[in-house]
Amino acid sequence: MANKIRAVLIAIAALCAAGSLWAHHSTTAVFDTSKKVTVTGTLTKVDWVNPHIVVLMDAKGAGGNAESWKLESNPPSWFRRVSVGRQDFAKALGQTVTVEANPAKDGTLYGYLVKIKFQDGTSLELVAPDKQEAAAK
Amino acid sequence: MQRFYYVMTAMLMVPALAAAQQSAGGKPGHPDLSGLWAYTIDLPPIALKKEANGSVAINKIDKGLALPRTAQVPGAMPSTPAPSYRPEFRAKVKTLFDTESRVDPVFYCGKPGTPRIGSPRKIVQLPNEIIFFYEDISGDPYRIIPTDGRPHRVNGNPSAYGDSVAHWDGNTLVVDVTNFVDDTWFGENGYFHTDAMHVTERLWRVGENLAYQAIVEDPKVLTAPWIMPARLVKPSTDPLEESPKCVEDDGQRLLNNDHHQQR
Repeated sequence: MANKIRAVLIAIAALCAAGSLWAHHSTTAVFDTSKKVTVTGTLTKVDWVNPHIVVLMDAKGAGGNAESWKLESNPPSWFRRVSVGRQDFAKALGQTVTVEANPAKDGTLYGYLVKIKFQDGTSLELVAPDKQEAAAK
Repeated sequence: MQRFYYVMTAMLMVPALAAAQQSAGGKPGHPDLSGLWAYTIDLPPIALKKEANGSVAINKIDKGLALPRTAQVPGAMPSTPAPSYRPEFRAKVKTLFDTESRVDPVFYCGKPGTPRIGSPRKIVQLPNEIIFFYEDISGDPYRIIPTDGRPHRVNGNPSAYGDSVAHWDGNTLVVDVTNFVDDTWFGENGYFHTDAMHVTERLWRVGENLAYQAIVEDPKVLTAPWIMPARLVKPSTDPLEESPKCVEDDGQRLLNNDHHQQR
């Protein structure tokens, strides 16, 4: 598990160092990549938009209060080139999903989606390419 | 005898290979630039782990599609390290660079314009014109570029991609681009320009690859032409798709000016 978390952090670090159009600002300018939150709730919307895809979730906070989370992730052009399309997320609209994300530094219910696990047991996760064996264990 | 066979075979193949280099729609003698070309915009160096029914798949970006910018490109002009701005504009460039994530139009879904958009994703070469198609987060622009010797349009409206005409210089397609709006950047790092910008793009074949290089002139702000590094682009089988709309939402959340290079 420790290896897995480390691999994800390495992946996010690589994200921060990327030279690319997909983000332009550093991920660290918005998100706290040293922290990770896990949110379980209902997937309510999947926006397949540039420069980052966006998913919305309704969840319950620690005190039982209703929370509406907004999570962005990599750009559509990246997902397309790792063979993932909108339908791979949208198949779970209305269903319960669990998301792991780096939370926004401003404390709002906003984060950078690193992993999503669907009700059917499948999951999608951003990992460091060089750590794939460790991440896969 | 065997040697004679090889020589004859080689001689017979030369015209066939030459014909293969010619445009199906273009004029004989010109290299064929038509085809799908690799997506050259850098993407996150991340892999996707997909778990389903107990099996794990790791899908990685094929980084080999776009050859590195530092690669030596046969036939390229020597590049200049950075645009040479007139002294009175250097502070402005630095400020734009320092605050790029907040002020770069591209970050807010703006058009990159020519030449920042880079090499085309698809080229269709016809007898009297050549058409460039692009894949970009701001939309998917195209450029219809006459190659029949006509001059630039006189009354065209200024635009991000400019008014283009092209001619052949040997085996190199030379695209002359003018009539720009002044609200795009021609490159990273705050490279602003004026409506006097003039861009020359050069495209040629290096084996199966496409070579692309651009030269930027703007006498109002630059002291010399900026010759961008040439880039080799591999052929692609990845079809050109309509890009999703662009909705930038992070600008209001930025807590610092950290940013990346992009192209």
